Amino acid sequence: MTHRISRIFIVAVIAAATLSAEEPKCSAAARECDHQIRQMLRGRRFLGVTVEERAPGLMIKAVVANSPAERAGLRAGDRLIAINGKSLTQASTRDFKQTVAEARDTGRLWMIISRGGVYAKVETRLEPYTKEQIARIVAAHLLESHTAKAGVQ
Amino acid sequence: MLNELFSKLRQAFRRGGGRPDFVSVLLPFLIIVAALGALAWRSYVLSVKMEHGATTIAEQYAGYAAEITARRIDAAVRAEMTLASDEWQQMERQLGNPTTAGLRDWVAKHEWIVAAMYLPDYDAENSLFVGEPSANAKGQLRLDREFYTSTGTVGYTYDPHLLLAAVNDAARRPPLVQNESSAPLTIQQQADISLVYKPVEGVEKLDDGFSFVSSLAAPLSSFGVRAVVRTVYVGGKGWQNQRVMSLWVSLLALVLTGIGALLAFRGMKKEAETMSLRGALIANVSHELRTPLSMIRLGAETLKLGRLKEKERKDIEDQILREVLLLSHLVENVLDVARMQNHSERALAFTPVGPRELVRSLIATYESWIESRGFTVSLDLDETVAEQMWDRDAVSRALLNLIDNAIKYSGEEKKAIEVVLRQTSEHVILEVKDHGIGIGAEDVARIFDPYYRAQFSDTITRRGAGLGLTLVQQIVSSHGGRTEVESTIGEGSTFRLLFPRTSEMAAPLPAIHQPREAF
Repeated sequence: MTHRISRIFIVAVIAAATLSAEEPKCSAAARECDHQIRQMLRGRRFLGVTVEERAPGLMIKAVVANSPAERAGLRAGDRLIAINGKSLTQASTRDFKQTVAEARDTGRLWMIISRGGVYAKVETRLEPYTKEQIARIVAAHLLESHTAKAGVQ
Repeated sequence: MLNELFSKLRQAFRRGGGRPDFVSVLLPFLIIVAALGALAWRSYVLSVKMEHGATTIAEQYAGYAAEITARRIDAAVRAEMTLASDEWQQMERQLGNPTTAGLRDWVAKHEWIVAAMYLPDYDAENSLFVGEPSANAKGQLRLDREFYTSTGTVGYTYDPHLLLAAVNDAARRPPLVQNESSAPLTIQQQADISLVYKPVEGVEKLDDGFSFVSSLAAPLSSFGVRAVVRTVYVGGKGWQNQRVMSLWVSLLALVLTGIGALLAFRGMKKEAETMSLRGALIANVSHELRTPLSMIRLGAETLKLGRLKEKERKDIEDQILREVLLLSHLVENVLDVARMQNHSERALAFTPVGPRELVRSLIATYESWIESRGFTVSLDLDETVAEQMWDRDAVSRALLNLIDNAIKYSGEEKKAIEVVLRQTSEHVILEVKDHGIGIGAEDVARIFDPYYRAQFSDTITRRGAGLGLTLVQQIVSSHGGRTEVESTIGEGSTFRLLFPRTSEMAAPLPAIHQPREAF
């Protein structure tokens, strides 16, 4: 996995270096972009669920593979009742995300969900992006914006 | 107390002469000074109060301006950020899934956004990123912010300086204060608004106003708004400052009053002195009149008795004649002085006069009298002195007065008088020297004042009305000349009359007034 990502990264950097003369979309130097992305992602923790609004209330639409949410046992179709002591029965997606963002300092989340009419308490922790994930994002950006034609690999 | 004051004032006016009463002269001035002082103090206090009011208003206004502007910028920043996130969400809804191109468009629309990243909820590994950090970078300061959409999270980095520049209009608008010019104080009501980094909140007293800092709300809490309000009223420097000016004016009035008081006091003193001198004159004159009169009466009574030898009779007749001469001399002096002081119409009659001849004839006339007093007269006359346009009688009288003085104020040791006539390029000079008792330095300045007589231990025995020298001076000055005195106590005095030299060829000066035949 690591080997593959670093190979993609190297290819991307080479491609950026060779083709940067031909109208790259991002005017900044590749290193600047790299630095910026890493800075924005550093310490950023994520939960890994997609939430859908079901008036009233929220429902989990999808769970990202290999994420804290999946490890905590959340599944698509679970209804969200409460998070960190706040009721979600009348909440919007925005409220849910706000609460998750507020919990980033400690990283602790505890939720009450309802699956098939049964309430369950789920405890989980937000996790930072892994190095592989960050590298993948950087590589995607470099590929797309610092090469003349997308998809030259 | 007021009655007392009035009676005192009335007394002061009624008194006229006499010793000036210090209190009655200075009292009115003291009252004026006190009133002026009170006025100055009052205006000073008032202006201080006004200034205090002005500063208070300026202080409040500075705070108000800073606060209002800060809140306004806060609102504008919030509105700008909300607008940005709304735009993105609208775009996202239209496009379905966000794309890099969409994100780029969005970043390009808001030039204060330096870089942006979209993190979808469903796939942490497929993020979008757009950034042009070096192109837009203005300061080193970068702030991050994020908002949530229905499908993910948008995080962006922005430059607060650029953001503030984008909402600059909000800061530029002057705070809502009407410039009311009805007040006597002028505060510059337009505050100087500036943005400061890392503000220290609070009010600060400046030399000429106030500055107030109010910090912005999050996310730009590291910035603040500084409002500076200048108070022109306080700021006037030096004497231009109105409150100092009222003080100056009062002080000037005080000084003028002081000068007035001094002048009044001096005038009063002078008048009192003249009055006392006049009193002395009366004493002198009565004494002067009584002595010859009693001599004459005595002589006349003796003559009337008869039975006198021829020689005795002749002596008595001589004595009577001498005393009459003296009397008439005295009376002439008094009259002349009075006349000249009152600017009488009797003018001097200028005719060509030979100075040598004048001196000689005068001495010839009075020689016997001078010798009878035991004096010798020596003449030193410059033969080259030409005829001058003089009033013969007046100059003779002046010279005679000087000789009379020389005789009167000579001791017993050396009874000699010198009369000198000489000339310089500008003046014809008549000098009378004696070897008498002399005049003290403090008296020299005053001997020409009317009625003044130098004080000696035996003043009263030396007869005179104190008018002789006054007359001399008036005569000389009406000839356009001046008098000089040199004197040493115990050695004698020299009186010098300097007449301006009239050239031989010059036409006689036209007499302003025709001489009167009556004289």
